[in-house]
Amino acid sequence: MAGEVKHDYHLVDPSPWPAVGSFAILVMLIGAVFYMKPDALLFGIEGESWAHWGFGAGFALLIYTVFAWWKDVVKEAESGDHTPVVGIGLRYGMILFIASEVMFFVAWFWAFFNASLYPIMPTTAGTFWDVIGNEAVWPPVGIETFDPWHLPFINTLILLLSGTTVTWAHHAVLHDDREGLKSGLWLTVLLGAAFTMVQAYEYGHAAFGFSGSIYGATFFMATGFHGFHVLVGTIFLAVCLGRVYKGHFKPDHHFGLEAAAWYWHFVDVVWLFLFVAVYIWGG
Amino acid sequence: MAHGNPTGWKRWLFSTNHKDIGVMYLWFAFIAGMIGFGMSGLIRMELMEPGIQVIPSVFGMNDEQARHMFNVLTTGHGLIMVFFMVMPALIGGFGNYFVPLMIGAPDMAFPRMNNISFWLMPPAFILLLLSTFVEGPSGMNGFGGGWTAYAPLSTSGHPGPSMDLAIFSLHVAGASSIMGAINYITTIFNMRAPGMTLHKMPLFSWSILITAFLLVLSLPVLAGAITMLLTDRNFGTTFFDPAGGGDPVLFQHLFWFFGHPEVYIMILPAFGIVSHIISTFSKKPIFGYLGMAYAMAAIGFIGFVVWAHHMYTVGLDVDTKAYFVAATMVIAVPTGVKIFSWIATMWGGSLRFTVPMMYAIAFILLFTLGGVTGVVLSNAGADVALHDTYYVVAHFHYVLSLGAVFAIFAGLYYWIGKMSGKQYPEFLAKVQFWITFIGVNMIFFPQHFLGLQGMPRRYVDYPDAFAYWNWVSSWGYLVTLVGVMLFIVVMAMTLFKRKKDVADNPWGEGATTLEWTLSSPPPFHQFNELPQIK
Amino acid sequence: MFPALMLVLRESRDIPDPPLGSDKRESNVMTVKRLTAGFISTVFAWLGVATSALAQSTVGGAPTDKGLWLQDAASEQAQKISDFNELLLWIIAAITVFVFVLMFYVMWRFREKANPTPSKVTHNTALEVIWTAAPVLILIGIGVISLPLLYWQDQIPETDMAIHVTGNQWNWTYNYPDYGDIELTANVVPDATFTNASARAAAEEELSSFLGWPAKLNARLLDTDYRVVLPVNTRVKVQLTASDVLHAWTVPAFGVKLDAVPGRLNETWFEANKTGVFYGQCSELCGKDHAFMPIAVEVVTKEEFARWVELQGGTITAENNPTSLGR
Ligand code: HEA
Ligand code: HEA
Ligand code: CUA
Ligand SMILES: [Cu+2]
Repeated sequence: MAGEVKHDYHLVDPSPWPAVGSFAILVMLIGAVFYMKPDALLFGIEGESWAHWGFGAGFALLIYTVFAWWKDVVKEAESGDHTPVVGIGLRYGMILFIASEVMFFVAWFWAFFNASLYPIMPTTAGTFWDVIGNEAVWPPVGIETFDPWHLPFINTLILLLSGTTVTWAHHAVLHDDREGLKSGLWLTVLLGAAFTMVQAYEYGHAAFGFSGSIYGATFFMATGFHGFHVLVGTIFLAVCLGRVYKGHFKPDHHFGLEAAAWYWHFVDVVWLFLFVAVYIWGG
Repeated sequence: MAHGNPTGWKRWLFSTNHKDIGVMYLWFAFIAGMIGFGMSGLIRMELMEPGIQVIPSVFGMNDEQARHMFNVLTTGHGLIMVFFMVMPALIGGFGNYFVPLMIGAPDMAFPRMNNISFWLMPPAFILLLLSTFVEGPSGMNGFGGGWTAYAPLSTSGHPGPSMDLAIFSLHVAGASSIMGAINYITTIFNMRAPGMTLHKMPLFSWSILITAFLLVLSLPVLAGAITMLLTDRNFGTTFFDPAGGGDPVLFQHLFWFFGHPEVYIMILPAFGIVSHIISTFSKKPIFGYLGMAYAMAAIGFIGFVVWAHHMYTVGLDVDTKAYFVAATMVIAVPTGVKIFSWIATMWGGSLRFTVPMMYAIAFILLFTLGGVTGVVLSNAGADVALHDTYYVVAHFHYVLSLGAVFAIFAGLYYWIGKMSGKQYPEFLAKVQFWITFIGVNMIFFPQHFLGLQGMPRRYVDYPDAFAYWNWVSSWGYLVTLVGVMLFIVVMAMTLFKRKKDVADNPWGEGATTLEWTLSSPPPFHQFNELPQIK
Repeated sequence: MFPALMLVLRESRDIPDPPLGSDKRESNVMTVKRLTAGFISTVFAWLGVATSALAQSTVGGAPTDKGLWLQDAASEQAQKISDFNELLLWIIAAITVFVFVLMFYVMWRFREKANPTPSKVTHNTALEVIWTAAPVLILIGIGVISLPLLYWQDQIPETDMAIHVTGNQWNWTYNYPDYGDIELTANVVPDATFTNASARAAAEEELSSFLGWPAKLNARLLDTDYRVVLPVNTRVKVQLTASDVLHAWTVPAFGVKLDAVPGRLNETWFEANKTGVFYGQCSELCGKDHAFMPIAVEVVTKEEFARWVELQGGTITAENNPTSLGR
């Protein structure tokens, strides 16, 4: 039943990247485990001597794979493989990916609300029966939190603004306004970078630590994963910006850009929840 | 389109073909299944008689190490069977192979991502296997904290790198499943053949669609939970450590928010397969098709709001428990709709008892048995006596090992002709069915008695009063072992046949789904011209 | 302190009514149990194994050889669980038998030979409504019994005394806050003690002198070197925590099982209505020796209990126990 292809779906050519990427992940993660535990033994060998190399090599290979893979995707997009029906598929894919990301953040918010709504008196085995009657509060005793209306508020404004600039870029591409597209994207990328820097500065001046207390744990992991997503989103947008300079994206064919914008809005919304819950309500 | 279809190892390693990827998933599940089955053998042999005798001699270790080793085996067995056998077989294997065929699509929506979904599985499995060879608790190898990995046993209780490897294994397997799930949903929403509305879509595709939604929405929560384990273990956070105001019970909430949907992830595709087989060999369309589809949707939905029925003894407040009792019992209703609709499908039919049909019927009977013990457990008042005993072990093996696994066997016998072009030997396969059927019931039925008598699970050694039923159970394993060996023989006899001997549709008028309109095996790329439905 | 305690417990319970009057129906219960056991053994006789009726245990509460059912109840709670579980067994057995019989009938009646031309019926609204509604009614029936039982079990009535139980890897520490400083740690009696007559005698002697009356070891993996001693017909509140990882404190004959969670205080209660030794086993995976940290509770008369407290150097202020008032 050879027959010629009479449909618009995209039958992707065989590709080495999935297998290479999986291998990279394996190497990277084994490296990571023994990087974190340098004294531990893997078949009698201490992690000390090799794990950072393993982790580094795996990570580098992974980044290379991601790069090569997406390069292929971009090539396919520009060469017409992404027919309208494939475009719809990509949209479904992106929406579902974002849905899974939302659920990932649900876990961190769950941890946060668990700790803040039902605070637990820090106890160790020896002290349990003595302190168990004491009242626990949130934030925990001795934790000095951030003033939400200071840097966090500025960051909120930065992100909200960047949400509008990315929309500007999107509208520009719809009207084939290349200059507006560039300016909108440039501004978004810069605002994203500004957010990251402010966040880094704030982390540097935190009056509480990452370890030892549930406050630091929930705060840094929730905002940290958000920060990581900002970084990814910024890179995504920067790639789109690069593609703009290469002449990619047409008014009716620019899903890469749209996906980046969706992702950026998602990151934005997560921040609003963080700002309201963690900074204002929980601070 | 210029299609270099690579041959040799590249065909598999670089594959963007859903059928090849499905086949690789099935082989992977088979290998993992054999390892998981072997581990359950060690568990059963150790428990055959009171005392600790088998593990020390098999592994050449002392009594203390053997106690830990037993937990490692139980943990590994649970994780392997769940993540590396049932899920890859039902979802990755049959899902990949048959969803595009059934909905009239040429391939999956994202064929290359499909390939990484598969190729992440071996690294995940390697990470898990590796974890058994490195230090867990001080001085001993492997992670022995149960497949549920409850903190703090999985944090301060296992300081060595073993648990870190296991965590990463789950991360990778989870990423694989999430990508697979996104792929299925997109494929099913976007690539159905012209005329195939959702309400005409075969039930197996429905089951995979709903399963995929459960995966997308539940797995990321597990990812978050095990990431918390990772940072608690390595970077000093205190999510689960009361010394820093953390809460061990938080982990259980996060785990079961994933874990309960997970059990339906394992059974819904089985429901799908069974529906096809029952319909085919009754020569009747499925009874109450829409009800069947929406019952699965209801099960999936309610499955998200019942998680704490695994936590009745952690000290939840009583209103919370009462809610979870009620919510959990509700699931019996849509499940009952399915059971009765299957029977109604057979009612008035013209039944042929081929091997897949025998497995499907056994599935319905044994799943019912496992389901109703689930209803007993859902009552917090009774669960006080049964939680963490072998009654629970009996319950979930009836729904998993005699449910999901029977559906895998059923699907394999049903579709092996389609996939390989060669038909299995009917008589030997029937013998295989009966031996396995008797064996697994002999393993797991007596475990109800052990549980009622109070035998706790995850015990390497038990008081002498439990000896009798454990002995029966372990002999059941040996019977099952014969069944599994025979299964391998049957499959080898099928696959090593010289000539292909299967017509496009070997099952006759009852088999109405699209895969039976194609050749056996189907062409490398099917539906270059999309089929038109009605 | 109490509001704060409630915060820690994350719940606010009203002080509940005292438990309902207990109805003792021992003989009646035994017949039903025999019936159940008989039923089970008939149905599964094809297993080819002889099943004995429920054997009588020599100790107060322990698993019995070839046992098929819950251990004999020694508290009202356990009795209610047993009754409820039995009811559930009948219900689920009926459902299962119904499905099996229906299936076998269909398999026989509609086999290819008997029915060569299949019907094409795929809908029957009345049937579909029935098989949705009937399970709903059954489940409501179960719920109506289940939920009151749950509330009754869970709400701690006024108790007479409390014990503090701490789970450790791999033993249990017990304190008697109402009786001065009594503290004991119970470890499993090692297997070797059971195989070596003189070691066994020594262990029994040690135990006897701890208790103040002669005691025997009964079963491998159930006996501990020291036992928790509690008075009969006394409402005991158990306050639980753990020092390292999760454990679970359980005594089947009392119908009690509760996790010991580091950093949390969990509470349950029971009232033993028989004297004797009652055994349980750690029921939450806690590492290597999870199977080797049993629970042995010796329930004695109130007088004997008072003697034991004195022997341990505890103080008796029975009238005014600090933990005796409500929660
Ligand atoms: C495929 C997997 C699968 C499936 C489908 C189920 C299905 C169900 N399970 Fe199960 N369960 C597990 C896998 C599964 N379970 C696992 C792995 C564990 C242990 C995890 C661990 O701790 O390691 C577990 C544990 C578990 C517990 C916790 C026990 C404990 O640890 O104390 C509970 C408690 O509520 C429970 C309940 C149920 C219920 C009510 C159903 C229902 O969905 C069943 C519904 C089906 C029926 C009821 C039968 C058919 C219906 C009819 C014929 C209609 C008429 C019926 C009635 C009116 C009752 N399960
Ligand atoms: C799908 C899940 C699954 C399956 C199939 C099984 C199968 C079996 N399990 Fe399972 N088991 C679990 C999931 C499963 N188990 C889980 C989650 C736990 C809890 C772990 C924990 O406590 O943390 C557990 C725990 C558990 C215990 C309790 C251990 C303890 O508490 O210490 C025991 C004891 O007897 C046991 C025995 C067995 C046996 C004898 C089999 C089998 O031998 C029965 C027969 C099986 C087969 C015949 C199938 C073989 C399958 C294949 C060969 C693959 C074929 C595939 C293709 C062809 C694609 N298991
Ligand atoms: Cu302590 Cu299990
Ligand atoms: Cu569940």
